[in-house]
Amino acid sequence: MHLVVGFNGWLGWQYFFSTLFTGLSSGSLYALIALGYTMVYGVLKLLNFAHGDVFMIGAYIGYFVLTALGWPLKPILPLAPMLLVAFAAAMLGCALLGVTIERFAYRPLRNAPRIAPLISALGVSFFLQQTAVLLWSPNPRSYNTFEYKDAQLFHFVGWGNFRLQYVQLLIMLSTAALMIGLSYFVWRTRTGKAMRAVSVDPEAASMMGIDVDRVIMVTFLIGSALAGAAGVMTGIVYSQIDPYMGLGYGLKAFIAAVVGGIGNIGGAVLGGLLIGLIEAFTGAYVTTAFSDLVVFSVLIVFLLFRSTGIRGARIVQKV
Amino acid sequence: MPHETTQKRPMLELRGLTVSFGGLTAVDKLDFQVGEKEIVSLIGPNGAGKTTVINLITGVTRPSSGDILLAGESIVGLAPHKITQRGIARTFQSLRLFLNMTVKENVMAAQYGHTRATIVEQMLQLPRARREQRQIDAFAEEKLAFFGERLMGYRWNQPAYSLSYANRRRLEIARATATRPRVLLLDEPAAGMNPVETHEIAELIGKLRDEGGYTILLIEHDMHVVESISDRVVALDHGTKIAEGTFEQVATDPRVVEAYLGTKATTTK
Amino acid sequence: MDSDPKTPTPPAEPATTSPRIGVDEWVKRSDERTAGPRGLFGATSRLINGVPQVVWLVGFLAFACVLPFVTSNGYVIGVDADTLLYVLLALGLNVAVGWAGLLDLGYIAYYGFAAYLFAELSSGHYGLHWPTWQSVAVVIAATILLGFVLALPSRRLSGDYLAIVTLFFLQIFNNFTAQGQAWDWLGFGAPHDITGGPTGITNVDPFRTPHVHVWFIRIKAHVLDNAPTDYVWIAAAGIAVIAVLLGFVNRSRTGRAWRALREDSLAAEAMGMPVKWLMMLAVAVGAGVAGFAGTVNAAYYQGVFPSAFTFPLLITLYAMVILGGAGSLGGVIFGAVVVNVLLEVLRTPYQARWVFYAIILVGLAVKLRPWRALIAVFGGLLALGVAAHEIASAISPRLVAGPIAEGPTSYSTHGFFATLLRHWMILPAHTYTGGDYKAGNYAFVATIVLVLALTLVKGWKRWVLLVPTIYVAAFAWETDLINQAPTVRPLLLGVILIVLMAARPAGLFGQHRVEVV
Repeated sequence: MHLVVGFNGWLGWQYFFSTLFTGLSSGSLYALIALGYTMVYGVLKLLNFAHGDVFMIGAYIGYFVLTALGWPLKPILPLAPMLLVAFAAAMLGCALLGVTIERFAYRPLRNAPRIAPLISALGVSFFLQQTAVLLWSPNPRSYNTFEYKDAQLFHFVGWGNFRLQYVQLLIMLSTAALMIGLSYFVWRTRTGKAMRAVSVDPEAASMMGIDVDRVIMVTFLIGSALAGAAGVMTGIVYSQIDPYMGLGYGLKAFIAAVVGGIGNIGGAVLGGLLIGLIEAFTGAYVTTAFSDLVVFSVLIVFLLFRSTGIRGARIVQKV
Repeated sequence: MPHETTQKRPMLELRGLTVSFGGLTAVDKLDFQVGEKEIVSLIGPNGAGKTTVINLITGVTRPSSGDILLAGESIVGLAPHKITQRGIARTFQSLRLFLNMTVKENVMAAQYGHTRATIVEQMLQLPRARREQRQIDAFAEEKLAFFGERLMGYRWNQPAYSLSYANRRRLEIARATATRPRVLLLDEPAAGMNPVETHEIAELIGKLRDEGGYTILLIEHDMHVVESISDRVVALDHGTKIAEGTFEQVATDPRVVEAYLGTKATTTK
Repeated sequence: MDSDPKTPTPPAEPATTSPRIGVDEWVKRSDERTAGPRGLFGATSRLINGVPQVVWLVGFLAFACVLPFVTSNGYVIGVDADTLLYVLLALGLNVAVGWAGLLDLGYIAYYGFAAYLFAELSSGHYGLHWPTWQSVAVVIAATILLGFVLALPSRRLSGDYLAIVTLFFLQIFNNFTAQGQAWDWLGFGAPHDITGGPTGITNVDPFRTPHVHVWFIRIKAHVLDNAPTDYVWIAAAGIAVIAVLLGFVNRSRTGRAWRALREDSLAAEAMGMPVKWLMMLAVAVGAGVAGFAGTVNAAYYQGVFPSAFTFPLLITLYAMVILGGAGSLGGVIFGAVVVNVLLEVLRTPYQARWVFYAIILVGLAVKLRPWRALIAVFGGLLALGVAAHEIASAISPRLVAGPIAEGPTSYSTHGFFATLLRHWMILPAHTYTGGDYKAGNYAFVATIVLVLALTLVKGWKRWVLLVPTIYVAAFAWETDLINQAPTVRPLLLGVILIVLMAARPAGLFGQHRVEVV
């Protein structure tokens, strides 16, 4: 076991901090994906199982766009614009995909029993995975980030032994930026206010003149766009993408959303970071093979004792 | 005639019952009693907290403080199904029938709390399970017969969604009686009914007390119904009790008039 | 007040013999007005629903049991055994999903858990070779307990948390079985081989029936190692017993309580039904059935592997239960049979092709109401095909020179289908030997877009759009999908789930439900 490394001297602390930052950066990814889950649950009370696969499609879109632009060996644009183009493409594509899924798979089931859209979501998830396999083969593809100009992104910035990789910084900063943008949107704009209204009481909201269909569409749009961004980031950092990655990341992001309190945006961020940290520390100090198991078990234990999550609201049912 | 409640223990008693949702106190230190076989009506303007009181009694909502006693025993903190098994049943303001089940099945399902056959006995159709099934069947027919011909015969096997509105309300009451309660909480049983049906429901409630022996707490807006069958009336406004007594006493109480109609016109010049 | 409110005048008795109070003709005939499927399908489904379910069950089981004697084709008997296992699983899943309306996503994990536990107890893995009946009993009990435990953290009035917890348990289970060859108690102990890792546990004991000597009945002890025939019988017997037991439960107070729970859990609780306990019971009963199925699986295949108990299997099972009609025992069996047979048929291109075109033709015949529309669409399809073919061959002969797929690696340019298709469909020369099936891919995406567009337009525009949609779909099928069975199968399942929920949530034989809005 790795605890032997301990905290003796600089090496130990270096290990600790690098684990910490790894956890925070992967946690940011989970947070981005978790936001989509939580927002959709907030307005529709639906656990959108297909969200993880939207994330996967985003990763593939980013891959194709970057490859078309010559990444990693013959880029025709400098780094920043190229990444921006990839992000924009993925976010747009996923937004479109998310809206389409909502329109055709969930909207007809608005008045059906709760179990119906959940099953439909399972079907969509499966369908997306297999379409990706069909179109792009089940073999993993690689962003090959390491080949980009001597892996510039993986160079370190920092002081002494406390160092951060550029790419980790990139993830945390872009996630923070997206988060701030989302907060502003939800709390300061009319549509954001409409979203909050719909998540509390859709019927009353519609009677107040809010176009519930449009609000739901916007929710899916934003959530899916964030997932698309997360997909590209994942590709850049972890290089490898495959049609089934939505399952792995999606589930962990799901746990993050639930642990943080599903329906609560701040909770999703908190949950994402927490799950990222737990995963990183378990992998670093205990075992890598079963780190997933630990994360999942944390969820179940959590649910047993505080079923509404960290920031979850008590659901008051009007009888 | 109001029943004497001072001699024996009241069937249902609320003591200092309070509940707050966030900053809003929905029910504030509510005290009242319902004696055995009494019919007490709970009246008040919309939003006064009447349905909240029923939710508190049935355990759907947890009170912030205070106590609720059924025949002298506290039931605060018990799970709703346990409270029902102890002897309190309710109907819902907006009907909540099991729509895709038949009329008879609705009433049969409500008897779950008083039957004991385990799932293994049901699987193997052991004697206790079969015996209970026959009893459940007969009891359901008995409870439905209370309503005359309306819920009898071929109606038993009709899905509940095929019933008319008034029949649905009757079925809801029948279902509640199938849980063998001592106390019935009826939440606006006459809502949406025409005068004939309203009259019928009022008579029915009287019959429930006289023949069924139930203690009844009634939420109602229709003052004709309240006047005709209540032994006592309790008036609520903004979660507090503002009057209690016979219908005449409460109806003429100035605070009640003000709650319903606003401040007296004479104060504005 | 003008009239005394306490005694309103009762309505005057009608002079004629109009309906009496309490006897309502309109309500009496409500069943006739309940929306039921019309036409040929309606008549068929009424016939099927009219026959008592017992008859269907017995007939089906009899057929399944007789099959191994009628054919010696090992593949067919294997499909028979697999189908019966699916039926068994579907029966169990139906309890939680169909009757109680809960989303139990960990069902396959119970199945796998039971199979693995049986493998641990009755194999050389730990050297335990427990007698069959002992193993099976313990496994079923343990699986039931597992079901209870998993349902424990779910919230009283919302089934969402049950879905989450069970889904995650499935993931934990998959993770553990795949990595369990080196379980070291998270670093606190020595590595231990619990689950055999990716290669699983092999050499699991087959079922052994004991020597029975009751009165004058003497049955020799058997070792059931003649898979799959022996297990066809075991599974059929299991189905018979379990269907009967569950049928009784459904008619009793627990079944009613589950249905009430599904209808309105808050009202059910107000009527004295312990909602949380009922949820746990439903999951546990389903788990028990999965437990039995797991032992049969382990003994039949004489091995357990982590790849056998994964998410795709869960989706397959859900598709079976939903297609047949969640809640209906007969429907669920039907769904299991149809889906499994369909999936098997899709394996070979030659057979799959029959099914594909048959479904399209039958679907058109059933759904296109005026005969003129049917003929128009059909004619348009033929015309479009031939026209496209001619244009393509004019552009380049290579565009239409391709063969059609017959088997996994065999292609042909002769035969009934080949001749027909090669004049109607554009089949590029190197369709199956080229690297990326690019054209097929684009056609597939185009098909999806067209189908979505179909749901948006109405009336005659729909018939018009139907023609290119079908043609493009057939093109995608012939050039790409037909050879990709492992992908098409799950794809189809996903589509089945989505379409069923939107169009016919009650499935084929489920009860048409009314929802309050």
